[in-house]
Amino acid sequence: MKKILTIPAYIWAVACFLLVPVTFIKNDAFAEQLAKLPFMKIHPKYNGGELNRNYEKDGLSVRINRPVYAALFGEGNKGFVQVTFSAPAQLPEQINQTIDYNFDNNPDFQVTINTLNGETNLIPLDQTVKSVYASSKVKEDWVIRVNIEKK
Amino acid sequence: MTKPVYATEGSIWKSILLTLPMILLILIFIAGGTPDLSTPEKSVAFLITFLFLTLLFFMILYTGKTDRYRAWGFVTMALFFALTFIVNLIKARGSMTFSQENLLACEIPFCHIVTTMIIIPIAITNAIIFPGSIIGGFASIASMLVIVIGVSLALGRGFCSWGCFYGGWDDGTSRILRKPKIKKINPVFRWISFAVLLIIALISAMTLNPAYCDWLCPFKTVTEFEKVTSFTILMKTVVFFSLFIGLVIILPVLTGKRIQCATFCPMGALLAFTNKINPFDVRIDKENCSNCEKCVNACPTLSLNTEDVAAGRPSITCMKCGKCVDSCSKRAIHYHIKGTPVNKNFSWARNLFLYPAFLLLVVFLGGPMQNGIILLINLIKTGSLIN
Repeated sequence: MKKILTIPAYIWAVACFLLVPVTFIKNDAFAEQLAKLPFMKIHPKYNGGELNRNYEKDGLSVRINRPVYAALFGEGNKGFVQVTFSAPAQLPEQINQTIDYNFDNNPDFQVTINTLNGETNLIPLDQTVKSVYASSKVKEDWVIRVNIEKK
Repeated sequence: MTKPVYATEGSIWKSILLTLPMILLILIFIAGGTPDLSTPEKSVAFLITFLFLTLLFFMILYTGKTDRYRAWGFVTMALFFALTFIVNLIKARGSMTFSQENLLACEIPFCHIVTTMIIIPIAITNAIIFPGSIIGGFASIASMLVIVIGVSLALGRGFCSWGCFYGGWDDGTSRILRKPKIKKINPVFRWISFAVLLIIALISAMTLNPAYCDWLCPFKTVTEFEKVTSFTILMKTVVFFSLFIGLVIILPVLTGKRIQCATFCPMGALLAFTNKINPFDVRIDKENCSNCEKCVNACPTLSLNTEDVAAGRPSITCMKCGKCVDSCSKRAIHYHIKGTPVNKNFSWARNLFLYPAFLLLVVFLGGPMQNGIILLINLIKTGSLIN
């Protein structure tokens, strides 16, 4: 009986011996399949969240994402909203925009960005807006994340 | 009783014969089957890498010593990986630091250790808490997860001694002193990594932030780290750099043990569980064992103590490096395939383990070693690693 049991043990070992080269040779194919699984997406805390609205203003394309109130369960009270500015050719030296991130027809904050040195000034116009969390050129665009709090 | 020997031990022809399949695998994995010999630098780099890997595998078979030659490849891998990674970063970004732009663009390479921090958030939020790319680009999340799953199924925690491109650092420093200054270490320390895993996994889930990467990972010192733009980032830098000095250099030198891997790596703790679901382990033939405890003293990861020897197997934390196997003058401890007799066919078990394990070394060392040699040739020719 013990001798018979050694056969599947050796088959298992040989299968594992083959698994290592297969893992690397077929890595791209396996990775593509894995990437299709529903949980294989970057958390909004890192990718900035889903696009909410996109409009043109002062020669700039403004993309406002959905606010992200990241929490392990449900939503937290504190979060951020990501806004992306892009231009058809080159970003202007100065970006000065008023943003209504929740689309209630009341401006929420005014932001001024010096795209040469990255200096970013935020003027909160709504009590939910707190501070600048991130402001940086990303490829050809300028991305800001503004800290917000639920009312 | 005479010491049992491996089938290839001391036999040149048998060793060459069993090296031949590995030569083919080395050719496939370091050159894609067709080596790039378009420049003298590339030709030299390919030839040195090919000969180095082939010689290591041959010596493992011929001498019957596993860890002695594994360690040469493993430490070389860590050094060349760090060299090529840093030079590539400097070429691409101008420094070893990553910026807010890289974070916002989700361009951070995913390393296997992050796996420990994303599991709970995936289960609850259905998303990955890491600023990397899911697929495509260098070290994408999907690609690295496939490697982690495939290798852990095949070798369990053997990854930590044959594939981890960080492990070679403290493996190397732990060998600097022939006789360690601190000889007795309580084996209870081997369980600390499980506590680290639990705490890191929980904190990462609660904060939705890969806490170990952000604050603790010592290997950021030899790869990439956040640009210091605030006091908090400065504190993080001090913490991970101090941990590198302490856990990867000073303590391994003083103890002769892989302290970072054995006590502080959450990935090692996670991979320890996969030791239960793969066919290879290390076993002690109690009939041959003289209880000299050379293996206990040799184990670099505190995976063997007196009780483990009496039980005939190392603890779940074993990294299958082979140091205990090399240390045994009776050859009472050896690689084993679960479900087979402990004291029979250990040459078969060793060879069946060695092929996939060494192949892992080939895969992770082949590219960095060739690129590293090219960089070093350029350094000699031009005086610069970057140009």
